[in-house]
Amino acid sequence: MEVMAKIAFGVYTLVILSGSILAVTSSSLVRALVGLITTLVGVAGMYLLLATPFMAFMQLLIYIGAVSVLIFFAVMLTRAEKGGDEGGKAPMKTYVYGLAATMAPAALLGWLIMTKPVDSVAVPVEVTIKQLGDGLLGSYFLPFELISVILMVAMAGAVLLTWEKRGK
Amino acid sequence: MSALTLYQIVALMLLCAGLFGLTQRRSLVGMLISVELMLNGAGLSMVAAAQLTDFSAVLGQLGTLFVMGLAAAEATLVLAMIVVVARRFKSAKTSDITTLKE
Repeated sequence: MEVMAKIAFGVYTLVILSGSILAVTSSSLVRALVGLITTLVGVAGMYLLLATPFMAFMQLLIYIGAVSVLIFFAVMLTRAEKGGDEGGKAPMKTYVYGLAATMAPAALLGWLIMTKPVDSVAVPVEVTIKQLGDGLLGSYFLPFELISVILMVAMAGAVLLTWEKRGK
Repeated sequence: MSALTLYQIVALMLLCAGLFGLTQRRSLVGMLISVELMLNGAGLSMVAAAQLTDFSAVLGQLGTLFVMGLAAAEATLVLAMIVVVARRFKSAKTSDITTLKE
């Protein structure tokens, strides 16, 4: 990696780390959502560093544009302010069990990553959007169609779930 | 330390933050935010692994695109469920909606 790339990697790592800490620990859900959006922007920067500008664009479009707005609606529909749903201290047992549940995969996967490194190239592979489109409409046509069916069913299900009969 | 290892460590960090949040959050919206963190870690790990090894880069990027699509579908459904739960129980706290325990 070049020096600038290293600096950029460090900055994005800091953005991701601070955003995820805010998203997980904040007692106000609105702040947690701001933390999530910060993390998403950091991951989009990581995609840019990996020479995949299309993925970074999709990250901004889908996650920050669509998913965050959906979560914002969910926040607005519940008691998200400080002292609301997330207010009050959790019992100590929850913290201990939660830390244990987090440390187990962290230790295992971290050990695997550090001791069994895979042969990797230093410069990322370049993929054009045309190649991605050829893949979507060629070899991976079935998953492409399936994901559209899943999105359709999810939206229809969401409308059906929240449907209120008139006069009820 | 290779570049791939660094990216995988960041992805692992996101996964762990999401897991910890999932165990700590006391409302459905907070759990949804944590799940999104975990899905982002998975996407970052997949793109990094596909871009920096001999593995097919197109397949890695398309896989991450599918993860994003699934995340959007999941967020839609969870929003609908939160609306229904909040309407019925007047709260989205997980401790308020466990009726089987009583």
